Amino acid sequence: MSSPVPPPTVPTPLVPQSAGGASVATPAPARSSSQSQSGGNLGTFGVKSGLAQMLKGGVIMDVVNAEQARIAEEAGACAVMALERVPADIRKEGGVARMSDPKMIKEIQNAVTIPVMAKVRIGHIVEAQILQAIGIDYIDESEVLTPADDEHHLNKHNYKVPFVCGARDLGEALRRISEGAAMIRTKGEAGTGNVVEAVRHQRAVMGQIRKASVMSEEELFTFAKEIQAPYHLVKETARLKRLPVVNFAAGGIATPADAALMMQLGCDGVFVGSGIFHSGDPAKRARAIVQAVTHYNNPKILAEVSEDLGPAMVGLTIDDELKGGRLAARGH
Amino acid sequence: MGVGGMSVTVGILALQGAFVEHEAALQRLDRKIEVVLVKTPEDLEKCDALIIPGGESTTIALLARLSGLMDPLKKFVSERPVWGTCAGAILLSQTVENTKKGGQEVLGGMSIGIARNGWGSQIESFEADLTVSGLKDPENPFRGVFIRAPVVIELKPAANDPPVEVVASLSPELLPPALSAPDHSNEPKTFVALRQGLHFLTTFHPELTRDDRFHEYFVRECVLPRHSPKG
Repeated sequence: MSSPVPPPTVPTPLVPQSAGGASVATPAPARSSSQSQSGGNLGTFGVKSGLAQMLKGGVIMDVVNAEQARIAEEAGACAVMALERVPADIRKEGGVARMSDPKMIKEIQNAVTIPVMAKVRIGHIVEAQILQAIGIDYIDESEVLTPADDEHHLNKHNYKVPFVCGARDLGEALRRISEGAAMIRTKGEAGTGNVVEAVRHQRAVMGQIRKASVMSEEELFTFAKEIQAPYHLVKETARLKRLPVVNFAAGGIATPADAALMMQLGCDGVFVGSGIFHSGDPAKRARAIVQAVTHYNNPKILAEVSEDLGPAMVGLTIDDELKGGRLAARGH
Repeated sequence: MGVGGMSVTVGILALQGAFVEHEAALQRLDRKIEVVLVKTPEDLEKCDALIIPGGESTTIALLARLSGLMDPLKKFVSERPVWGTCAGAILLSQTVENTKKGGQEVLGGMSIGIARNGWGSQIESFEADLTVSGLKDPENPFRGVFIRAPVVIELKPAANDPPVEVVASLSPELLPPALSAPDHSNEPKTFVALRQGLHFLTTFHPELTRDDRFHEYFVRECVLPRHSPKG
């Protein structure tokens, strides 16, 4: 497999590159950048998408308390996702799943030095304001929580904190980017330990990008209409031959081999939710998945790190009987 | 053989983080550079110089240890030019503050003390124009992208060390309030690009811009002077 195409530098999709490329374009106005007297800009799209670029080749792990966060950090996680219940437990217990208690999130922030992410319900403007106020590093506007708004996603340009959103195909990914998401992940089917949906979503995105990359302008206009995505983002994606922001795998990844599979399919990194702390030996499995993402093209190392990890989380078949239903169908 | 002289191989440590961006920047330079993405000790042996990219320094250090690269990297740093950006700058420092519990392994190489994550959480990340000495088109400011950036705490060259040279510094009012006491003792905290001998460090991310002048600078000032023909 060839090495991945470099992601765009700075805010490519939203800001045209200057033809000479000599200096960086300042991100478009009307985003939430605040200008200080000495010319420093906070919360630009460049620093939002830039943090995602720093997370590439890494593993972001779901944790429910400070102790798990420390285990994740020691195992080499590049960030942790703080939440009250991992998706497998949300499925099992049911009920409305909401943003976590800020006190619990702060305890996790105090326990580790790596970036801390947290989830808000789709469209919940105020949960996002609260997480920004406590200085979270990244917000996941996530279908794993119960949606607060079944028609509108957040206007993510309105926040200084960056957002990641799930997507099942190219149109959904580009709609989220158009709303201000600085990072995309597959939706997969969270809490199942079953990678099939994440594979389906990643293959859909990459297949559509490959098709778009050979289209004429006329065809691109029609394609943008078909996939319900803004034309300028479709065109930019076709030019780059990849999504214009970083794209991680998520939803059902349970083993080092699953993680490496998603990397070989073109993902930039991996989220692991229930797969680590619902397994027999979380510290060992976490470390093995971290190594698998770095060495995803080296079967010899993958074989070594896959050895003797103890039981993986119990996987679920994804069908109409699936307890908790299909989370990926939330949001469009 | 590259155009205009012998070919030079620059490695980019590719364990985690933004290494592909550095690769693209090196490939945009006029001078032909051979690029190796370094994941194993064998990859490292091919390199005349190395870039350590941004990413999570704890993750990169752990992966270097698990991949058998930590000792080869320490040896490399003692012999050949290395440029660290952000997380890479932390790994090139002698001492680090604000580490995870239990501390963090570093490579050393530059006589400085650094603090991780000096500005606070991601919402304090920022962009700012920098005036840089020694770049091409010096009248053109360089747009520095600072993401959860580290802060230089002190320069501490020993008697026999090469001097530490300040290549770029930040306007003091951009420092976080906790660090911006107006006395002279805080001056190192404004330093965002430093050079010592053939090593180079930036606390920001030139690889996230389309401006390749820092990559050109590293090759011209650090890599080529050290480079001698192979074989």
